[in-house]
Amino acid sequence: MSSFRRDKKEDEDGGNMFVSLEKTTILQEARKFNDTTVNPRKCTPILTKLLFLLYQGELLTVKEATDVFFAMTKLFQSKDVVLRRMVYLGIKELSCIADDVIIVTSSLTKDMTGKEDIYRPAAIRALCSITDATMLQAIERYMKQAIVDRNSAVSSAALVSSLHLTKLAPDVIKRWVNEAQEAINSDNIMVQYHALGLLYHIRKTDRLAVTKLVAKLTKMSLKSPYAVCMLIRITAKLLDEEESLNDTAMIEFMEYCLRHKSEMVVYEAAHAIVNLKRTTSRELAPAISVLQLFCGSAKPTLRFAAVRTLNQVAITHPSAVTACNLDLENLITDSNRSIATLAITTLLKTGAESSVDRLMKQIATFVSEISDEFKVVVVQAIRALALKFPRKHSVLMNFLSAMLREEGGLEYKASIADTIITIIEDNPDAKETGLAHLCEFIEDCEHFSLAVRILHLLGKEGPKTKQPSRYIRFIYNRVILECPSIRAAAVSSMAQFGASCPDLLENIQVLLARCQMDSDDEVRDRATYYSNILSKQDKSLYNNYVLDTLQVSIPSLEKSLREYTQGSTNQPFDMKSVPLQAIPTSREEEHHKHKPDGMLVSAGPIKAAVSNKQVNYAEKISELPEILDMGSLFKTSEVVELTESETEYFVRCIKHCYAKHMVLQFDCLNTLSDQLLEKVKIQVDPSEGYRVVQEFPCPKLPYNETGTAYVVVEFPEEDLVGTVGTFGAVMKFVVKDCDPTTGLPDTDEGYDDEYMLEDLEITLGDQIQKVSKANWQVSWEEAEKSFEEREDTYSLSTFNSLEEAVKNIVQYLGLQPCERSDKVQEGKTTHTLLLAGVYRGGYEVLVRAKLALSEGVTMQLTVRSADAEVAELITATVG
Amino acid sequence: MGLFQKLAYFLGVKRKEVNVLVVGLNNSGKSTVVNRFKNEEERVTQIVPTVGFTIERFQNQNLAFTAFDMSGHGRYRDLWEHYYKDCHGIIFVIDSGDRLRLVVVKEELDLLLQHPDVCNKKIPILFFANKMDCKDALSSVKIAAALGLDKIMDKPWHISASNALSGEGLNEGVEWLTQQIREIVMAKN
Repeated sequence: MSSFRRDKKEDEDGGNMFVSLEKTTILQEARKFNDTTVNPRKCTPILTKLLFLLYQGELLTVKEATDVFFAMTKLFQSKDVVLRRMVYLGIKELSCIADDVIIVTSSLTKDMTGKEDIYRPAAIRALCSITDATMLQAIERYMKQAIVDRNSAVSSAALVSSLHLTKLAPDVIKRWVNEAQEAINSDNIMVQYHALGLLYHIRKTDRLAVTKLVAKLTKMSLKSPYAVCMLIRITAKLLDEEESLNDTAMIEFMEYCLRHKSEMVVYEAAHAIVNLKRTTSRELAPAISVLQLFCGSAKPTLRFAAVRTLNQVAITHPSAVTACNLDLENLITDSNRSIATLAITTLLKTGAESSVDRLMKQIATFVSEISDEFKVVVVQAIRALALKFPRKHSVLMNFLSAMLREEGGLEYKASIADTIITIIEDNPDAKETGLAHLCEFIEDCEHFSLAVRILHLLGKEGPKTKQPSRYIRFIYNRVILECPSIRAAAVSSMAQFGASCPDLLENIQVLLARCQMDSDDEVRDRATYYSNILSKQDKSLYNNYVLDTLQVSIPSLEKSLREYTQGSTNQPFDMKSVPLQAIPTSREEEHHKHKPDGMLVSAGPIKAAVSNKQVNYAEKISELPEILDMGSLFKTSEVVELTESETEYFVRCIKHCYAKHMVLQFDCLNTLSDQLLEKVKIQVDPSEGYRVVQEFPCPKLPYNETGTAYVVVEFPEEDLVGTVGTFGAVMKFVVKDCDPTTGLPDTDEGYDDEYMLEDLEITLGDQIQKVSKANWQVSWEEAEKSFEEREDTYSLSTFNSLEEAVKNIVQYLGLQPCERSDKVQEGKTTHTLLLAGVYRGGYEVLVRAKLALSEGVTMQLTVRSADAEVAELITATVG
Repeated sequence: MGLFQKLAYFLGVKRKEVNVLVVGLNNSGKSTVVNRFKNEEERVTQIVPTVGFTIERFQNQNLAFTAFDMSGHGRYRDLWEHYYKDCHGIIFVIDSGDRLRLVVVKEELDLLLQHPDVCNKKIPILFFANKMDCKDALSSVKIAAALGLDKIMDKPWHISASNALSGEGLNEGVEWLTQQIREIVMAKN
């Protein structure tokens, strides 16, 4: 802050009146507002200073804000235009802090409907910022008039304010649709754009209405290029969401936009087309050629936009982007560094192995001149490159390490570290050099989180290298030099070495002993803990408490522990009662990566609660009246759809597995607007051995709402093999015909009806929770003594490649592949797949599958489990 | 202040500016009263309930009034006090047809008189017993008695029956107020 101010002063030579402002002085000065005769020449600068303070992030207390606000309201008596407009700004800023801001409503309404045009838009904006849901009714009439006002500034202000108000009172704003419709026909480009924004926002939850809106507007050719851009975005979103939509008209509209006279629209259309999930090459060609044309444009913005778009889609449509290679080559030497960076990275993504060296050299010349954001783009390109051409790893790795040494923000450094880690994981040849680079990096790393991550990685990977001892020096240096959180991570990391490399154990013990003298609690605790375990010399202890991390889900552990401490039982806490952590599937990870773009057309905030999903389900189920006590939730499976998506009723099933029971959660959606369903019940026809224990029907299912019915079944007790089976399912309900607009039933009498659902499969995977074993081999050897073993050989004739077989086995068994054994190296004809998991009831399962490729895939499956029946079950169900 | 303005001020040509506060229960006719004071061409035809307050200007005998027309709605009455400071006069409007709420009026009036910004100052208060054309309207004398106006010793006050729709009685009241304010301002100078 202070440096910013100094800079500003230097710029302006004459000194800056805002340099040394103090809140108290300004508030003191603001008392001038209360004078009988308002002097605009004095009050305006005071208000300016006040606003400056607020914009700088100065916080006022409620009392201060209210006082200053009421003083400000007295300025309404002045007719000075500048002062009045400052007052509007002041009201907007203080509206969320001060009390009773509603007091200026009438004054603002008077300005908003008055003759002075210069007051009106600003008054509308200020008015909407002070209004709450109850007051909105009072100004509704004025807002409606303002939306259709002839003055474009007034109309725009009213439209945009309405858009903001939708957060406050969506129902009221919905009634303004007709006015917004009228405004969309305006000749003013901004009004048209804002009107479309509001209309879309009002209707965006109703897909049919949006489709209609798009269909109507694409025909009427909007004047405003902004509105057309917005329309393109809406169309693109619709096309992406609705797979089966009859969309020729929409695609045609986009193609038509490629020939629009405004460059902005042309770019937006091209951007939308190349980003569509399912563009065909026929549609792609004109869009790419437009971008290609832009690449040669004289305007830097156009060049930048084009090359950026090409860069983004280089992976999805490589062949199309390759067509632009010649133009991109020209852009490498562009005077604008951002354009050059993007051009090079695009070329890296699409180019051949031979050109890598040349391009890397080119980047190196200016990498120090570009901003962090673009460095991240470069790093991402390098990652893609490393995965594509593993042989080039040394060039790339050197380049990355040089980048690591430079200054940069956390995001940038983290992306480099990520890339190095990905390269290490993917390419065993690069492991040693990669680790060496990372070691060097943590020597001088200002980002705690990154250092902790790298230390963890060193602990995992270091012991497996040829010379583990060399890493210990780096790690121990951290213990001497760094802050507590890093020291603690370093201690954990050292313990990993001690557990995995017996010849280093003695040295590690010495180091840990030193760490026990640390000044920080956490570091001392960890050191003592590890030192004790290591001194026991017991392999299984090492394995369970050093090498493997906690596998339970942390939120549920917290919950269980809290319950345990509040309860008054004498029994020791049972770790097995805590649900295991579900390992996120790749789909969820992808979902996380998906970033929203553009305010209005975005998909909404990304739900961060993915990992807590299971906890939420468990809570919901436990709230059901009179539900059995089944223990804690073991596993929740993926959602299965039991109907086609376009049918009358849409039913999805989620299977929740408990130790002895399975809860089937049926989410039903009624898509018929003229029907009200009651007593919706899913009747399942379980396979032999299963017993339906409880049923929870959904009492009411109105149109377009999702209701949930539950069925609890008990697993067959004796016959474990019988737990895998198929259930028939029928939805039974009482239908009442109702009025589509009100949703009220016509009569009280309904009639019974039923609806066939698709069969529901209970698989082995539903009963097994994935568990990741960091050191599978050790666990396996240990299991030889204590566990039951079953072995069998199968011939899997349906698979033609090892990858395919591995993928299917993992999916079928629902176990977690360990030690990256799910990646099959190319060109090999044999592979060993290592899997681990826990069967419901807490029985650990380890599986080794040896695969060989010869006219189909042959598999030798060895199962070791704590329970003989479980092992039996697994060997029996495969095949 | 420019030389010309100073000169004008000394000669007494320049109009003095004063602030008055218009208060009273909701639906007593405050905005209508203020609307009457304005010039013919500036008046509005339709009066809607005020939310918060509005600022209006009018003149009387070389005195430029800035009227803070406050909302009388129960929710906003607490906000009157923000404007007590620096006001030169108070216009208190009473619906003389509304016998039922006369106690509420008294309570609000007492609160006003006890407020620290008002109680020790010599602020003239003008009461309008409005809506005198109503059939069962109370006379101004009865209202004065009901509100206990005779107990106000430290402030000049005046009550006049009025009809804001026709403008009857308004001028009489405001002329009294102008006179009072002029005297007080003169005394200060």
